[in-house]
Amino acid sequence: MPLDLADIQGVVLRSYKMPFLRTLILRIDDAARVKTLLASLPVRTAECWDAKPEYCLNIGLTADGLKALRIPDETLNSFPPEFLLGAAGRAAAVGDTGVNDPANWIDPFRSTQVHILLSLTGQSHEILETVTAQIRSACSGAATEVFCRDGYAPADHRAHFGFVDGISQPRVAGVPAQKQDTPEFSDPMDLVPPGAFVLGYESAHPGHFYPMPAPDALGRNGSFAAFRILQQDCFGFENFLDDAAKQTGLDRELIAAKLVGRWRSGVPLSLASEATQQAAVPFDQWNHFDHSDDPAGRKCPLGSHIRRTNPRRSAVAGSGGETHRIMRRGLPYGAPYDPQNPQDGIERGLLGLFICGDLRDQFEFLMKDWVNDGDFAGLGADKDPILGNQPAPGGRFRIPGPTKPQTVVRGMGTFITTRAGAYFFLPSITALRYLAGLPG
Amino acid sequence: MSPSESKSTPAAAPAIKQNPLTLIMTVKSPADFAALSAMLNKFLSMPRDKNPIDVALDKLAKVHFARFVFMDNNTKLAVITSYDDSFEDYINDFIDAIGDIFNALLAHMADAPALPVQKNRAAFLDYVRKNDLRCLGTFYSAYPTLGVKTILAQAADAE
Repeated sequence: MPLDLADIQGVVLRSYKMPFLRTLILRIDDAARVKTLLASLPVRTAECWDAKPEYCLNIGLTADGLKALRIPDETLNSFPPEFLLGAAGRAAAVGDTGVNDPANWIDPFRSTQVHILLSLTGQSHEILETVTAQIRSACSGAATEVFCRDGYAPADHRAHFGFVDGISQPRVAGVPAQKQDTPEFSDPMDLVPPGAFVLGYESAHPGHFYPMPAPDALGRNGSFAAFRILQQDCFGFENFLDDAAKQTGLDRELIAAKLVGRWRSGVPLSLASEATQQAAVPFDQWNHFDHSDDPAGRKCPLGSHIRRTNPRRSAVAGSGGETHRIMRRGLPYGAPYDPQNPQDGIERGLLGLFICGDLRDQFEFLMKDWVNDGDFAGLGADKDPILGNQPAPGGRFRIPGPTKPQTVVRGMGTFITTRAGAYFFLPSITALRYLAGLPG
Repeated sequence: MSPSESKSTPAAAPAIKQNPLTLIMTVKSPADFAALSAMLNKFLSMPRDKNPIDVALDKLAKVHFARFVFMDNNTKLAVITSYDDSFEDYINDFIDAIGDIFNALLAHMADAPALPVQKNRAAFLDYVRKNDLRCLGTFYSAYPTLGVKTILAQAADAE
């Protein structure tokens, strides 16, 4: 079945490649007016554009938001249990415990007032301000803005830990390339079936369609997303590299690359084991590896961040590393880290939207089994060195060398802290109209 | 699935990594027993790299031990395993890897769920929940924190 690109929200299948992001969270005050409003907003779909627009707007609804819209109980209960429980209710399943516990989240994410996500990306800060003013005017008296935070694309594409980010994304079958996009990276991985991200199509599990909310007009062509505000401790990360270099005698930049799986330049260890080899790897080849030539992780450690969150063709427990993919959207927030002023008191991190067809089988599976556990790769209880919620004495990371024995780094802290979370349903255009037509 | 899990609020990672499965399935008839027995004996007599059950379990790397036992005058078939983590979390992987084996087994069972299991995953999960006797009290493990992949990796390192 061909994808109905005009009915699917663009953020699900498209990277807009825009430098400015604004995340608005609304609380619904007047259900009837909000239903009409949702159907009238200029939501960007997944269709190809003739010319790159000035901005793109996409919408998500939480379970609390659907309740506030007063949709029938039968309809609400047709949503998957983890979505109904929400991010706070599922915290333990994804490692949001201890310092990441929802009790420590920022307002309003500890409350039931997170109803609507408006994700606005633009080519300039000015267009975000213009569109935001229009949205605020349209929402006046119908919904209250309870949160707003901006993100931005760093000039050199390096996220706060100093690594070039956004290189690898699932390539979805049936999605034509966007006009005027930069050429894609060469990628040996198979195309991902669209049902991995869009409801109503076959998922990456053969014969399986992810459960879809009813009725069809509401569920089909929708998606789910985990919204996360992830604070990054750059000072702690850099200090750990110094400590790990002392522990092991290895170069701190080699350790940094081993933790992530790529050099800070973005070049993967799989193609450049030595720092001096980076320049020889052409830009369009930065995704051209699948780990099948490196079963012991001697080039790219089994426990590195990119190999955990996307094992590709590594021999992992389960049916394989290609069946639990997520689509990553988001941009950094907070001023860039300045090593000359490391303790500037500025909060910085990532505004992330992790999109999937089934929160439990993809986002939660990845966080629980691949990020916050290590057995799937034979690593015991070791956790992701970048994203893992490390135990109190500090985490452990193993760096296999060219031959045995491996180097073990200890005392690794938690470098990324969850500051907020919410589970959103990303309805189709048809679903937005369906909601507008509901009585009451 | 572990006894602590429920349908609406699945549990987080268990304190003991391994869990027991004691799945008791009711055979339709003596003729179905004969067919099942022939099929299982054929599989179980194959070398490991040809036995489709072993091949699937090797790929999954979540099951420590597994065995089949006919019970109650061959009117029931028990599948008894010790496996890692949450069965519900890995249900899709499990069906991807070994779904066809269960299709073949369940074709001979009374009250079987809709088949094939690949297209009826929730029904299969419900069937397993309903027919899993689990175990009395807590599940004993000599190595409660170690999963299959980690044990295999440590064994390889020790060689």
